[in-house]
Amino acid sequence: MALPLKYNYRNVLVRWRSTLSTVLGIALVVAVFVLLRGLARGIESTNGNTGDPRNILVVRKGSQAESGSLVSRDHYRTVQFLDGVARNQAGEPVVSAELVMIVSAARRGAPGDANTLLRGITPRGMELRPQVTLVDGRWFTPGRREVVVARRLAGRFQGFEVGGSFKAGAERLTVVGHFDGTGSAFDSEAWMDADECRSIFDRDMYSSLLLRPTDEAAGKALIEKIQNDKRLSLRAEREVDYYAKQTNTAVPIKYLAGFLGIAMSIGAIFAAMNTMYASVASRTREIGTLRVLGFSRRAVVACFLIEGSFLAMIGGVVGSVLAWAVYAYVVVRGITFGTLDFQSFAETVFQFRVTPDLMLLGVLFSVAIGFAGSLLPALRASRLPVIAALKSL
Amino acid sequence: MTIASFVVKNALRNRRRALLTVISVAISCGLLVTLLTLQRELTIPPESEAASLRIIARNKVSLAQPLPSKQLSIIEKIPGVVAVSPFTYFGGNFREETVTSFAQFAVDPVRFKNLIVEGRIADGNYDDFIADRTSCFVGADTMKRYGLKIGDRMRFSGTFYPVDLDLKIAAVFQGTVDDRGVFFHHKLLDELMGNPGTVGTWYIRVASAEISNDVIAKVNDAFANTSAEVRAETERAFQMGFISMLGNVKLLIGSVSTVVVFTLMLVTVSTMSMAVRERFRELAVLKALGFRRRELFSFILAESFGLALVGGALGIFGAWALWTGIDLQKLTNGFLLYFEVTPRIMATGGVVAVFLGIFSSISPSIAVARLSVVQGLKTLD
Repeated sequence: MALPLKYNYRNVLVRWRSTLSTVLGIALVVAVFVLLRGLARGIESTNGNTGDPRNILVVRKGSQAESGSLVSRDHYRTVQFLDGVARNQAGEPVVSAELVMIVSAARRGAPGDANTLLRGITPRGMELRPQVTLVDGRWFTPGRREVVVARRLAGRFQGFEVGGSFKAGAERLTVVGHFDGTGSAFDSEAWMDADECRSIFDRDMYSSLLLRPTDEAAGKALIEKIQNDKRLSLRAEREVDYYAKQTNTAVPIKYLAGFLGIAMSIGAIFAAMNTMYASVASRTREIGTLRVLGFSRRAVVACFLIEGSFLAMIGGVVGSVLAWAVYAYVVVRGITFGTLDFQSFAETVFQFRVTPDLMLLGVLFSVAIGFAGSLLPALRASRLPVIAALKSL
Repeated sequence: MTIASFVVKNALRNRRRALLTVISVAISCGLLVTLLTLQRELTIPPESEAASLRIIARNKVSLAQPLPSKQLSIIEKIPGVVAVSPFTYFGGNFREETVTSFAQFAVDPVRFKNLIVEGRIADGNYDDFIADRTSCFVGADTMKRYGLKIGDRMRFSGTFYPVDLDLKIAAVFQGTVDDRGVFFHHKLLDELMGNPGTVGTWYIRVASAEISNDVIAKVNDAFANTSAEVRAETERAFQMGFISMLGNVKLLIGSVSTVVVFTLMLVTVSTMSMAVRERFRELAVLKALGFRRRELFSFILAESFGLALVGGALGIFGAWALWTGIDLQKLTNGFLLYFEVTPRIMATGGVVAVFLGIFSSISPSIAVARLSVVQGLKTLD
């Protein structure tokens, strides 16, 4: 027969001091674990959330990021008239030749500069990216030195507010609006007219082409055609695939989360063990009594395992809620995080997120800590000789 | 029985608990030391005396924007400039790698010789590098990592530049802060690119550290209001710029460290209270025998201090031995280069352990001070 759970519950409450410190310790470990996973997830989802599965992105073969790619005007012309490229109502091919420049701008509220991506974009390119919407001000006027920046960047750089201006090369660009990229990689970019951008930076070549094929089959054929054309030496892939590959930035944070998770959980297991050993030691007589009453060794083991896991689970729940509270605070205050993307050499802005499944993972993690920490003490409790246990003080 | 042996006996009477406490303190202290080392690694670029004499000039727009190569003759004439070479980041991938952790730079070999004064030739001959336009000058760490020798070929596929390189190793250098780089002839890059007349950055050495700010200002002024404005800064400032772009890393690691220390505190405090609670009776007896509160307090303090210090020492030296012993550069594919556990970091860990010892004895000591003899004698467990 199993021991009633009420026994564990009351025991936990009686030893509230050591219970509290164990619960808090595990809660902190879980909170750190969940927050770091949330950071890594935030970076990953930024890239995973970008692009339209129908679009095809074309860059130079061998280049890892758009900012390091060069596409000549000849190639642009060739790609425009390939079979399978969709046409809009006016009969023009739906291909957007774009320029992606790295521009260093002064940080807001901190010394120094950071790189940001400036995209010279065409009206067609904007149609191909419906996930980007204007939230403040207006779009830029072609032919003018005007930019629209991502709202999330506005808080990170000087002069990125609507009406502000910043220097790119010898020219000063005026910010006329803010757009929202709904958590995509475009939230780290500033957009301006492509031709204006080319003239400012004196660039003859484009960086990339974004195009829409007529249908899925045509898209596949088009990708193959561009890839295999030796004269072009271009790389074509679905826009979503391109962004999905740009997730290397999250790798160091993931390693850090993994390392800290392991190291801190080992520490937490020892702490839980300590608490559980102490609670076994102080309950020696009780355990003897239980055994005399006929509870089996197995019931005693189960009892302590449940108690330890339950204790840890409370810690896990508290920790997950704590992590969520940090997340909620960050969202309410509108704090964004930025880190250097080693592929584009520009700052990637991301929002870390604590989702229900991450919180659940945190709780499971805590239960595992509790189980591991109470296994040895539980076995010890079950092995106490009955007579000696009853005699002990 | 002396007082010291009394304290030691007490600390070890529950060996299992003593061991668990020591281990959990050790792990937390080791973790703290690791985090501080990581923070140092990520936020402080390695410093060398020669680096303070060097200036890197890049395009004001950003690092990715090239500079016209005709700027060379103007920079050369600026007083205080001892040497200047083009310095162009190639950003290629070695062999079949998708991420190559060491950098390749195109330089002018003759001019470059006067720039890296701290390095020495470990193998091969620098003159061979100057003479052969398709050769390269490689860091000893990279040679060792890939098992290369003089005369071997290194192939790179360009990621920033639409060309590939096939270079012959002519000489090996050692003794700089980062012995990983590969340097090759700028002329080769120019040729492959069809002579675009541009360079990535300028690498400049000044005569003395005092005049470097002056030279920086002069370089910046020389190209003000031209089509390619320049932003010059010391090599160190340049590296710090990269680090500032890493973003909130410092804050992140700082807050995690704080949580680690806090958790550490919780663990030891609760263990010490447990240890003291289970011997309330003995402490009451000691009180009855005439020991004063101060003395009882010093027993407890000595015990928690001892446990915390042993745990701290184990953790700190354990971390030191671990990070000194394993080749992290190889393990992290070059992401972590030095990961040096400095005496300063170890001392910080030690201070935390000491504070922990003191702090965790406070609450049990208060409990003991409050305890009346009769009450204590009545306590069962």
